[in-house]
Amino acid sequence: MHRHTKVLSSVMGVAALLVSALVGTSSASAASGALAPYDAKHAGGTVTLVAQAAAGTLDPKVNYTAEYWQLYQATYDGLLTFSYGTGATTFQVVPDLAEALPTSSNGGKTLTFKLRTGIKFSDGKPVTVADVKASFERIFKVSSPTAGSFYNGIVGADVCLKTPTTCKLDKGVVVNAATNSVVINLVAADETILSKLAVPHAVINPASAPSKDAGTTIIPTTGAYMYKSYDPNKSLVMVRNPYYKEWSHAAQPQGYPDQILYKFGITPTAQVTAVENNQANWAYDPIPADRLNEIGTKYASQVHVNPLTAMWYLPMNVNIAPFNNLKARQAVNYAIDRAAMVKIFGGTQLAGPVCSFLPPNFPGHVDYCGYTKGATPAKPATAWAAPDLALAKSLVKASGTAGQAVGIVVSDDDVNKQMGVYLQSVLTSIGYKATVKPISGNIQFTYIQNSKNKVQISVTQWYQDYPAASDFLDVLLGCASFTPNSDSSINMSGYCNKALDAKMATAKTLGLTDPAAANKMWGAIDQQVMADAPVAVVFTPKQLDFISSGSKNYLFSLQYKMFVDQLQVK
Amino acid sequence: MFTFIARRFAAMIFVLTSISILVFFIFFATPGVDPAARIAGRNADQQTLLQVRHSFELDKPLPFRYISMMRHLFVERDLTSYVNRGAKVIPQLSQAIPATFSLVIGAAILWLFAGIFFGVLAASSKRKWIDPTISFLGIVGISLPVYWLGEVVNLITQSKLHHSVFRWVPPLGYVGLSDNPWQWFLHLIFPWLTLAVLYAGIYVRVLRNEIMVVMGEDYIKTERAKGASEKRILYKHATRMSLMTIVSLFGLDFGALVGGYALLTEVVFGIQGVGKLTFDSLQNFDLPVIMATVMYSSFFVVFMNALVDVLYAVLDPRVRRA
Repeated sequence: MHRHTKVLSSVMGVAALLVSALVGTSSASAASGALAPYDAKHAGGTVTLVAQAAAGTLDPKVNYTAEYWQLYQATYDGLLTFSYGTGATTFQVVPDLAEALPTSSNGGKTLTFKLRTGIKFSDGKPVTVADVKASFERIFKVSSPTAGSFYNGIVGADVCLKTPTTCKLDKGVVVNAATNSVVINLVAADETILSKLAVPHAVINPASAPSKDAGTTIIPTTGAYMYKSYDPNKSLVMVRNPYYKEWSHAAQPQGYPDQILYKFGITPTAQVTAVENNQANWAYDPIPADRLNEIGTKYASQVHVNPLTAMWYLPMNVNIAPFNNLKARQAVNYAIDRAAMVKIFGGTQLAGPVCSFLPPNFPGHVDYCGYTKGATPAKPATAWAAPDLALAKSLVKASGTAGQAVGIVVSDDDVNKQMGVYLQSVLTSIGYKATVKPISGNIQFTYIQNSKNKVQISVTQWYQDYPAASDFLDVLLGCASFTPNSDSSINMSGYCNKALDAKMATAKTLGLTDPAAANKMWGAIDQQVMADAPVAVVFTPKQLDFISSGSKNYLFSLQYKMFVDQLQVK
Repeated sequence: MFTFIARRFAAMIFVLTSISILVFFIFFATPGVDPAARIAGRNADQQTLLQVRHSFELDKPLPFRYISMMRHLFVERDLTSYVNRGAKVIPQLSQAIPATFSLVIGAAILWLFAGIFFGVLAASSKRKWIDPTISFLGIVGISLPVYWLGEVVNLITQSKLHHSVFRWVPPLGYVGLSDNPWQWFLHLIFPWLTLAVLYAGIYVRVLRNEIMVVMGEDYIKTERAKGASEKRILYKHATRMSLMTIVSLFGLDFGALVGGYALLTEVVFGIQGVGKLTFDSLQNFDLPVIMATVMYSSFFVVFMNALVDVLYAVLDPRVRRA
């Protein structure tokens, strides 16, 4: 998932301040474990969240933003879900509306579930296998963003993608009301199918849910909370679901607040003030740089920093000059001072320099860096240490691309623009005529994807959808992810390496039977990709959560970030 | 009179149509603005992209899309946003209007009272220090940028002194008048004052100068010669004539503010008004909302201009005869 930080409003670049300020904050990379038992004496009250803007449609099958995926965990349920808990536990897929993880047969192509009985939607109607089937068809009927990328492997999905309105998955999702069983048939085995069935786009909605994007109309939920009202210009109100009874403490536990109120239209700096004044419990947007020192010193105990499995990186277009030359791409990788980029982003408390493609703490990640002083892609160091400008310059010279014009396309917010200006100085120093081209943050992400726009190099981010190496390597650099002249072509480098594609396919197949060996293979693929340098990975960001003094029981999910419903205000 | 109104109305339609066409075509002429991929979502499959393009009529020719958008906006009144999918544009606008009106009318009352009171005081006071002091304060008021003043007010009332003097100040935002009149009032006090400072400064200076000019006119001399009291001259003649300028100024200012110029105040104080709606939709490249707010605000500007003409006639008998 690409998480667009809507307003990184003020300059985050007071790195030094922050480093000193945030020393001693509760860096909660908690040990992995199960969720503590429910403590009824803390139940009640209202949790107030504040954000600059709403995140669009409330339809869980269409919305693809970190802002609402965080809320869906407490409201909607799929057959499977990501577990509540702490640390690595939150990356585990656990049965939710299904009684257990599916039994797999037919070489992984058939998954058999048994739906739990006695669960009701928030409108009082029971959850039936018919709802399950309708929900999978609904993915295609509403043109869910991931319909073609996550769920295209279900038998019959190809027809549904072409003619969504008449989508029928009679062979793909076979249900039996008498036995309450759900059988999902896949065209081919998929090692990440459990994760794909656990994300919000696969949640179960009533069969009566509208067959187009529900937008701001509310779809009944199954979880501990339901939505009471939604106005994207004002607020989103969540209240307890009267028909909810806890069926799995790991999948959908009882929540603490009686009401969760999300207020929109509050600027990032006003959000910080609201949290300081106990008028809000948590602020969604990144904290403006001029407030970091204040919260790091006066409110240190209310700050929580957690690593994110994400990366900021620079895709380089391998199909046009100068980055159609391997040496030119490697030169950029050697030349970038990742510490300087981290500094612009807000300092070492908010990000860590990396040069591997898979982020730390992610399946398949290996600590290595082929582009640091004294290392080569063939003989990598264990971590990035310093740039090697001399080597970069000689590579540019050897490539014969010196003196060429390079445009750096960045979003027009302060942080990205500063990064653009910094990159301009680096590219100029190694021999290019570099210019910065800032464009509106709302269109930059689709603009840099379209090969028609002839973007040479850009700054962008990728946040995981689910914990699997293929969600980074295959999604971002696979041949299938490159579509020329399309705004939706996530492989921005236009990189297509048939041999590596075949290896990724092998790793995926291996993942079905031996995930550990598969992850080892992904680690090797990571190094092979980076030797080709279609991108320069710069750093991995961290999540900084600021909660009010009246809020207790802060718990962080690696998958969906803070558990909103587990926050205690009593 | 009827032809005058009819001509005025036709001109208004023409202006609004031209503006809508301009907005529409400039939007689609912007490189990289095609909303299909943003509506479809990250990494959407090509077929999904096609479906979205089709359902939002983005695969149709531009003139067709323009007419379709106008039809949905004015005839069927069900135009929906590109960004907040399913959110209808007209209810968004009609919910934002009361917030903007509350802000602008409250502030207008403040700045009119302050402007007229201090303007007349500055022009008429016998004490030497009053005029320059008021003029100086007026200049200060005009010079304070509203977004800066608003942030400073927030810093003081929400942060620095929030736990002592300003404990009673509610969090930023807007509460509807019908929901809770007292909270509506409390939420708006500082936004009103902040917005009024700038305009009060302008009005004080304009009114003072106008009165000074009028006081030098021949007919004032005639009045004096006829033995009218200074009070009568000041209020009945000089101030009344000077109010002409204030009225036309007020008409334009009020129209512009209601139409979205209160944007900065709305953003700083988190008031979900028309200005903020326009601001957000511009940031999101949300053409349907941009179109609706632009239509709304240009309507107000045109409408207030017409209203000013009528008020002119009321205040100045010469216009009535002309």
